[in-house]
Amino acid sequence: MKKSNWGFWGFIAPSLLAFILVQLIPTITGIYYSFTDWDGIGKSKTFIGLRNYSEAFTTDSKFLHAFIFTFAFTLCAVILVNLIGFLLALLVTMKFKGSNLLRGIFFMPNLIGGILLGFTWQFIFVQIFSALGKKLGISWLLGWLSNTETGFVGLLIVVTWQLSGYMMLIYIAQLQNIPNSILEAAQIDGANVFHRLRHIILPLVAPAFTIGVFLTISNAFKLFDQNVALTNGGPANGTQMLALNIYNTAFFESRFGYAQSKAVIFMVVVAGISLFQLKIGKSKEVEL
Amino acid sequence: MKYKDRIKGLMILMGVIVAIAWVAPVFILLNSSFKSLKEIYISILAFPKEIVFSNYTQAFEKLDFVQSFTNSIMITVISTLIIILFSSMTAWVLVRNKSKKSTIIFMLFASALLVPFQCVMLPLVDLMSHLNLMNRFGIVIMYLGFGSSMSVVLFHGFIKNIPLELEEAAMIDGCNIFQTYFHIVLPLLKPIMVTVSIINAMWIWNDFLLPQLVINKTGWQTLPLKTYLFFGQFAKRWDLGTAALIIGMIPIIVFYIASQKYVVKGVTDGAIK
Amino acid sequence: MRRILSLILCGMLMMSLLSGCGQSSTNAKNEGASDLESVTVDIFQNKSEVAQQLEAAAKTYMEANPGVVINIETVQGNDYNTALKAKMLVNDAVDIMALGANDIVNNYKDYLEDLSDQPWLANVSDGLLEDAKLEGKVVGLPVNIEGYGIAYNKAIFSAAGIDASKLTSYDAIDQAFSDLQQKIDSGALKAEFPQLESVFEYAAKESWVMGLHTLNIPMANELGSAKAALEADEIELKYSNEFKDLLTLLTQYTSSKEDLKLLLAVDYSTQIGGGLAIERVAAVQQGNWIGPEVKSISPEVYENLDFLPLPLKGVKEDSIAVGVPAYWCVNKNADEATKKAAKDFMNWLYQSDEGKSIVVNQLGYIPAFKNYDGVEITDPLSASIQRYVREGKTMPWVFGGFPSGYEGQSASDIQAYIGGETTWDECIQALKDDWKALKK
Repeated sequence: MKKSNWGFWGFIAPSLLAFILVQLIPTITGIYYSFTDWDGIGKSKTFIGLRNYSEAFTTDSKFLHAFIFTFAFTLCAVILVNLIGFLLALLVTMKFKGSNLLRGIFFMPNLIGGILLGFTWQFIFVQIFSALGKKLGISWLLGWLSNTETGFVGLLIVVTWQLSGYMMLIYIAQLQNIPNSILEAAQIDGANVFHRLRHIILPLVAPAFTIGVFLTISNAFKLFDQNVALTNGGPANGTQMLALNIYNTAFFESRFGYAQSKAVIFMVVVAGISLFQLKIGKSKEVEL
Repeated sequence: MKYKDRIKGLMILMGVIVAIAWVAPVFILLNSSFKSLKEIYISILAFPKEIVFSNYTQAFEKLDFVQSFTNSIMITVISTLIIILFSSMTAWVLVRNKSKKSTIIFMLFASALLVPFQCVMLPLVDLMSHLNLMNRFGIVIMYLGFGSSMSVVLFHGFIKNIPLELEEAAMIDGCNIFQTYFHIVLPLLKPIMVTVSIINAMWIWNDFLLPQLVINKTGWQTLPLKTYLFFGQFAKRWDLGTAALIIGMIPIIVFYIASQKYVVKGVTDGAIK
Repeated sequence: MRRILSLILCGMLMMSLLSGCGQSSTNAKNEGASDLESVTVDIFQNKSEVAQQLEAAAKTYMEANPGVVINIETVQGNDYNTALKAKMLVNDAVDIMALGANDIVNNYKDYLEDLSDQPWLANVSDGLLEDAKLEGKVVGLPVNIEGYGIAYNKAIFSAAGIDASKLTSYDAIDQAFSDLQQKIDSGALKAEFPQLESVFEYAAKESWVMGLHTLNIPMANELGSAKAALEADEIELKYSNEFKDLLTLLTQYTSSKEDLKLLLAVDYSTQIGGGLAIERVAAVQQGNWIGPEVKSISPEVYENLDFLPLPLKGVKEDSIAVGVPAYWCVNKNADEATKKAAKDFMNWLYQSDEGKSIVVNQLGYIPAFKNYDGVEITDPLSASIQRYVREGKTMPWVFGGFPSGYEGQSASDIQAYIGGETTWDECIQALKDDWKALKK
């Protein structure tokens, strides 16, 4: 097909220009800024070599803590979100009256933004939990979000509540691809529910797990809004995740260059995870 | 058979219990939003003794709801529309024009998916303030820039599978490139358009950080940003806070109920592709 | 065909919307200099308890001055500094901001308009402009005078037979709290105050309560002024033992005394709305700013509020801490018309008769000006502070000179001690180390 150059560039220009302006230039300049002592918008940037990076890797205990916290959080979220998402998918694909309503209910939190979710659960954890705990004399319901542990579990609950329904949809799509004939044949052969689950459903849903796992990783690792609204990193920065740590370094400590160097480290990790995902996805395709 | 039915019944019962737990947070909010602050502090678990509706009128006013809702709608709709239009145009010529430059440009768009927002946030704001784009017009451009990566990739995947014949026929009939695109190609893209617009609209509607950095000025703020500021101001006035959260959820829930089919399709397709 | 048409229409609509959007945003970005009809002053302030009243005041002003639009936005406490920094990214998003001494000298020095020529300058009470100076020039208007101590409910104390006027030393207060707790536990006050469960509540979750206000008590006695704090590269914390006693007093009569970890969950709203205002507790460490919130929940409790001193044992036992919480500064990068309108509004609010009455009666402020004769303070806590000021029983606020970021650090150091994670010596060492690190 022949097209004039004019047509080609004309069609591409609007999104390409916006893309260059908004993503490409900032990414490149951002890498440069990470080697400077930049301390605010419009301020001068002096090249200081690797000093930001060496600080991030050696002396910044808050950054290290945020890193560990984020990794641990992501790991737990991946397991919990996908397990619950899969169970929900199994549940609502059993044909019964109202299964569509349940599907709708489980997915709904996913549409509500992180800021609203965070404040909603802050209310539940702090006010409702403590009132319940006092009334029923259950001590573990008291003092939520006042230490790192309950902050961690709290964030986990919020993210599970939000993402499980999303994963459920992905698993439903995959479950519906399983031909009924296979299941029926198995049933006639005398396979009970658990046998069918283990030997037929799980292997056939496996590709969707790859998608589910990496979508959860990407969401959990970059979590920001929920973190801000639920705990804002507190108490004592104990629940500060990477994205929030970068944000606070810039806007609370006024160290833009240093925040940028952390952001570059963050990018390397995120890109690494995503490339790993692509690779796994590719090899899975071959298997299928 | 009986055993199977019993298991099924048990599962359904469990499902209903889980579903109740799932909506409980929203109902708790709703319940508290009709109480006075004093009642929230004294008997938070009970039903409201008398319905206090003033929380809603006050929260509505404090959220500057009409203004922030309009801002949110305008920004979301306009950004989504131009993302669909421009990324589908880009994806189309990239697919149809098989050349090295097409591959490079496509890879450029795709590789940006690896870059987290935190990494471009500070230099972007620096650049935009020099260009005087720190306003509602600028944020639409930024959404186009950020949204185009994912959208071009999705459109690209879809257009690859559209046969060429129709377009060739149109060209032979004398249609120019614009006519071919708008008359022939665009209508064929409808299914993927739904997906792309749902994904982008959901993200843009709920986005908090970019509006906070770019349009954090009285009169410009979007609903999530205003909600955040609301909680900053009323430091846990939970009588108003619960009402504000319910108000913020209503548009989303209404939209979801009205277009559940498309939302579910859009979200699933977007994830799997 | 129809589908194609609708798509094209859709596109056209979109284009028109887009251009409409562009236009409206340029409109909103007031080109006020040329067009006096639409000067907009954006105020970003940090006192949520007066946000509503301040908006009402702005409305009054706008009715009298149709050419001016005053927008007021409020973010409370620790979040304010982060929010302000993010906001300053947007060109002229803020015209008047509320800053402390450290912000003025360090973080925002490139933004501050010289206010030395303003008419209100001569009327400011003595000594209150020291922290508002940048290179010798006054750049901020003192918003008000505030004080904090132990705010208590007179009705509960007198029902328990405690004479609060004698509570002027650490030991006397400690004894009174202990007596009151016994009466509560024995059920003697149950009939009159059914919600009452403990003497005290301490908002240990709020970094400003611990990391600024409580820490200020030993620091004020060590350093003497915010200026000294700004200049100190290191701190000695020579009253660390007395500071520990103070923390003991503030924590051991709370409802979380059995397990102090739980105290770290207590936030401002639990302390005030869910504590003092519903008579669940009888006393808190807070300042006169709690008045409006208590009043909105229970006017009776509000009328019964008064201050006890916040005692540093053996050093200064009968005083409360009084200071200027923030200064209103004008963004010098705003255009001339906006800056003029901003200054005019500040002048009107603090110096006109109408404004003075709003400042005292609506905002509940204790004015930082000498020329407020004839305006009577009615707020019980503010009146109490005025008494302490008259008797000279005050300590300064020095936390305005704490380095940026110290509030969060110091609060988490003290929280770690209260939560039982560190010993007192470790806590003191951490407070010193963090100071030194942030001063670098």
